[in-house]
Amino acid sequence: MFSLLGGIFMGWSLGSNDASNCFGSAVASRMVRFWTAAVLCAFFVLLGALLEGQAGIDTLAGLTQIDLEQAVVITIAAAVTVTLMTVFGLPVSTSQAAVGAILGIGFFNQEINLAGLGKVVACWFGTPIGAVVVCAVLYKLLAYVYNRLPLSVIRADILLRVGLIVAGSYASYALGANNVANTTAVFVGAGTLTVFQAALIGGLSIGFGVLTYSRKVMETVGGKLVRLDPFSALMVILAEGLTVHFFTVVGVPVSTSQAVVGAVLGVGLVRGVNTIKRKTLYGIFTGWFLTPPVACFIALCIDFAIHLRYIPR
Amino acid sequence: MFSFLFKKEQQLETLIYQYLENLTRTQEHFVKAMETCLDEGLCGEFGFLIDQTHKFESKADEIKEEVNVLMYSRALIPESREDIMNLLEQVDSIPRIFELILHLIRTQKLKIPEIIKLDVKDLIRLSVESCELMIKQIDLMMKNRQGIRALMATIDHNESHCDHIERSLMTKVFDSDLDKVDKLQLKELIIALGEISDQADRVSKRVNIMTLKRRV
Repeated sequence: MFSLLGGIFMGWSLGSNDASNCFGSAVASRMVRFWTAAVLCAFFVLLGALLEGQAGIDTLAGLTQIDLEQAVVITIAAAVTVTLMTVFGLPVSTSQAAVGAILGIGFFNQEINLAGLGKVVACWFGTPIGAVVVCAVLYKLLAYVYNRLPLSVIRADILLRVGLIVAGSYASYALGANNVANTTAVFVGAGTLTVFQAALIGGLSIGFGVLTYSRKVMETVGGKLVRLDPFSALMVILAEGLTVHFFTVVGVPVSTSQAVVGAVLGVGLVRGVNTIKRKTLYGIFTGWFLTPPVACFIALCIDFAIHLRYIPR
Repeated sequence: MFSFLFKKEQQLETLIYQYLENLTRTQEHFVKAMETCLDEGLCGEFGFLIDQTHKFESKADEIKEEVNVLMYSRALIPESREDIMNLLEQVDSIPRIFELILHLIRTQKLKIPEIIKLDVKDLIRLSVESCELMIKQIDLMMKNRQGIRALMATIDHNESHCDHIERSLMTKVFDSDLDKVDKLQLKELIIALGEISDQADRVSKRVNIMTLKRRV
């Protein structure tokens, strides 16, 4: 049980950070109460993890052969990477941190499933690009329908509000289904947990993070999305959920933050406006390229350090 | 089906329509008071109608306050909240102008001279027509129906016409043999009367922008 703490901590930190990608805009703009959003998000994260978390867990568990000690090293290295990148103010993906750390141990063991790794890296590129396309198509399609709906001002408002709650719940489901692998997949690879146990513990730890520490992030980071109009914010969350869910079916954990950034760019593409500043984009790309090698390096260092032996002269 | 989940929004819709209904009542009493003033001068009936106008103006303030309280208790999405609050704030200037005009006449014991009576009646008729069109425009916006731009064009046209009458009234007053104090008092009244159509025009343009903003 003690060895699982690293994974549980990863899940907790993932939940506290990534809940804002699902309900941030609704909570920050006071459309939905924090506790309503947090309970819905935690419930759907757990549901997603239990119902569709297996594919991602299988992919990460199959990247390399590891033992329990190495599984603990991976979770610690990933958690340290996430903390370090956050301290330096760089947007970070827990999926990239987890895979980077697994790769570090894989290098150490000289055993890496290259086909699996290729699939994961391809999906990392596919996440923001896919979200841009999904959001642009969704926006065009649903804007056409929305503009023709015979709805009063109040009813249109209700529709957008309900839409944000439904889309937020769906994005939470996708978050749980996709990202649960980052927290506990390595323990399945090490033979400590079954897939169901991993999904349950991972889902619960992410949900715990949402319930205990996501408020601040939802109210501040989530506020960034509020600058979009409510319809665009709805499209962004829906596109994020669909993109992340697609990669869940493919079986690769991806970053919900990168999906959100892609979707926001998609809105900008359709409306012909700059939705994200160039400086923010540089930060995102830096985080995107740095996270895997940093996690890999930290995992190697920790593994090397615990294998050091004192030899008296 | 899920209407029980959105009681606040339904309550809000009812309150907005109550507000518009109340504005119509205020306007009716203002018109009656002005007609009485023009035909019979300051009399008991005029006093009664001023009190009635004041009663409806106060009621409008109460409804607006209720709407604001509902908005702050998270009814509607923030963007709509801001739009509706600003809109009601602008519309609310109109009953205030009605009351201001009537009190101006009562406290300054104004007598409207024969030479301008017809023009004043014309100015009131056009201003009130603009207000009615503005209420109709808000109703169309609330129901998401067509015709908002056409109404805005008519209100704009009325406003230009009112400006023309206002200038003509000023010229008539200052060309007359009236006492200087009377002239200044009448100038104040004419400016206040002209403000009605100006404000209706401002509201109408805001409604048009709100409608354009809602399109995605």
